[in-house]
Amino acid sequence: MKNLLTRIIPVVLMLLGAASYSFAAGKLNIITTQTIFADLVKQIGKDKVNVQAIASPKYNIHFIQPKPSDVRKVVKADLYVNAGLDLEAWSDPLLEAAGKQKLFRNGEGNVDLSQGIRLLNVPDHPISRAEGDIHAFGNPHFQMDPENARIMAHTILEKLKEADPANTSYYEDNAKAFFTKLDRKITEWKNICAQCKGKEVISYHEDIAYFADFLGLRAEQFLEPKPGIPPTPKHMQFLEDYAKAHHITAIATPTYYPQDAAQSLAGKIRGKVITICQGVGEAPGTDDFFSFFDYNLKQMSEGVK
Amino acid sequence: MRRFFIFIIVFYDLCCFNPHLLWAGPSLEEEMKAMKEQFAAMQAKMSVYEKRIADLEDQLAKRSAQTTPPVAAASNRLIPAKWTPEIGVVADTVLKLTSSKKDVEGNNRLSLRELELVFGSNVDPFSRLDTTISFSDSESPSLEEAYLTRFGLPLNTTARIGKFKPKVGKVLGTHRDSLDTVDEPLVIQRYFGSEGMNKAGVDFTKILDFPLPVTQQVVFGVIQGGNGDGGTAFGTTGKAPTIYGHLKNYKDLSDTMGLEVGTSYMAGSKDENPNFDSQIWAIDATLTKHLNANQDIKLQGEVFNLDRKKTVNADGNLWGAYGLLDFHFKPQWSAGFRYDYVQLVDNPVTNPHEVDYGETGYLTFYQSEFARWRAQYTHTTLATGKNDNTVYLQGTFAIGDHKHKLQ
Repeated sequence: MKNLLTRIIPVVLMLLGAASYSFAAGKLNIITTQTIFADLVKQIGKDKVNVQAIASPKYNIHFIQPKPSDVRKVVKADLYVNAGLDLEAWSDPLLEAAGKQKLFRNGEGNVDLSQGIRLLNVPDHPISRAEGDIHAFGNPHFQMDPENARIMAHTILEKLKEADPANTSYYEDNAKAFFTKLDRKITEWKNICAQCKGKEVISYHEDIAYFADFLGLRAEQFLEPKPGIPPTPKHMQFLEDYAKAHHITAIATPTYYPQDAAQSLAGKIRGKVITICQGVGEAPGTDDFFSFFDYNLKQMSEGVK
Repeated sequence: MRRFFIFIIVFYDLCCFNPHLLWAGPSLEEEMKAMKEQFAAMQAKMSVYEKRIADLEDQLAKRSAQTTPPVAAASNRLIPAKWTPEIGVVADTVLKLTSSKKDVEGNNRLSLRELELVFGSNVDPFSRLDTTISFSDSESPSLEEAYLTRFGLPLNTTARIGKFKPKVGKVLGTHRDSLDTVDEPLVIQRYFGSEGMNKAGVDFTKILDFPLPVTQQVVFGVIQGGNGDGGTAFGTTGKAPTIYGHLKNYKDLSDTMGLEVGTSYMAGSKDENPNFDSQIWAIDATLTKHLNANQDIKLQGEVFNLDRKKTVNADGNLWGAYGLLDFHFKPQWSAGFRYDYVQLVDNPVTNPHEVDYGETGYLTFYQSEFARWRAQYTHTTLATGKNDNTVYLQGTFAIGDHKHKLQ
């Protein structure tokens, strides 16, 4: 027994003696899953929030492997902003590892940005993984439609006001400025890519559906024969024939997918590969929400010429 | 006559200049009556409008009272209709071809080495239950894990109670379907059991929050004594408990590289007397480097020092270790190498440091996120002086929900 106590006590003391310190006092600590969400929070929260994203935009959001340092960030967070649905499968294990109940799904600190979003590609039939890595609740890449930023920003605003009511007017003023700028930029973006309407592009994955919807583009064929399945020779031949028949010249892909299949197809159809980023900071010049869409619009506009 | 003429003049004046005094149209009474009728008609119309307004207000009130918006919140979409837990199945099939002549589990045959049936769900806002039931070609069904995770305890601690894999080192706490190789490192197999160990107990986990640029997590637990199948570190009795602790230290060296170093301690007994005469100190280290979005390298190693109370026929101080290099060189491919070294327990006095060595090479193909194929060759130099060469072909498949806990 004495041996047991001499072994247990030092460990228990270590637990009890764990010091605690926090980020800058008075600011809300907010963790987001994606960088675009982090920027939306920053647009509204500005100086009153510390915000960090877990997933680097350089990696595929489906396959992020949270690190112990990410767990520590979540432990300290007041709010956890995420895409909801079933895109970020690593999110629940991360939250459980942090053990902070108020950030769990449906918790008061969990901000689900899919709320209020009109989802595209919602399955209308029973699904199975025979269809690939299909998303059961609809296409979760809704951040790609700038119109959805109105809804997401509103959700963030309401949550910030709830968590920090003393700064309500500050958040509302910032939100108003954001919405004013968003209205102006949406008009500008639609003009930049006015010629996109009615055109068709091929994308690597089904992740530009909302972007295409915003521009009136069609994006119905993908390098992946099924979601999550890499391109196959047979499917590449089909895409080549399809692209030629439909006069498609642009292959859209984010930076983190292998580029060889897209480059090969572009060469065969005398088209070009365009980078359509999925996250803020993914490519140079995409440092915030507005420059992210400036970049994507420019890429798409030049791609479908 | 004069009166007649005056009447004519007055009458003429009235006709020419003030006809309304003679021909006033409807009488006052008739006007009043008409006005009353108009008023009544207006009242009737107002009644209709009032009813219409009331109907519209009622409809508006009903819509405002709806708690579910037209597009339901994602969190609501995920609530199953009848509280069905998350269910997953992981199948591990192995073809094992070996030079060993022993007719033991899986040797020289294709077998369903393990089928895990996994259930998990939140019990309430404070806790979650996870269970794993294991089936196999060669063993009876067994309860591999069943534990409650209790969140939000004092000092921001999380507890597990039930049967689980102890959080010691790296591999010991890892499910087989998450291993980089077909089998566990030799040191794990020899000291803890061919599949590691799952024991009933309780453990507490806390993320430490010292002002250091290192993430630290500490675990302390008490589990039933003994080993897994074929393990030798502790005695076979479960009477005397085993205690353990683990301190994980992690640092992001850069945006693309991280280093984790952990230290572990276990104390158990060789027999049913809880005298903790068998102690293990361990160090683990894992370096992960992302070369780009689709390639990464992992270097991992663990060293276990087993200190068993020296008796006439026992060993005193033994150690075992492994080192692993894994290279994920294409999105669907990885390859690696593992070296094993382990000093065996209860060696004869005449040969106090009998050792098993192993060299393993493997190639893994990820058919999809849910199906994986692996080919592995292992050469083992046994303490008995014999060598064993084994080729494995493994297929691992998952259906349903199966979210791995963060390691």
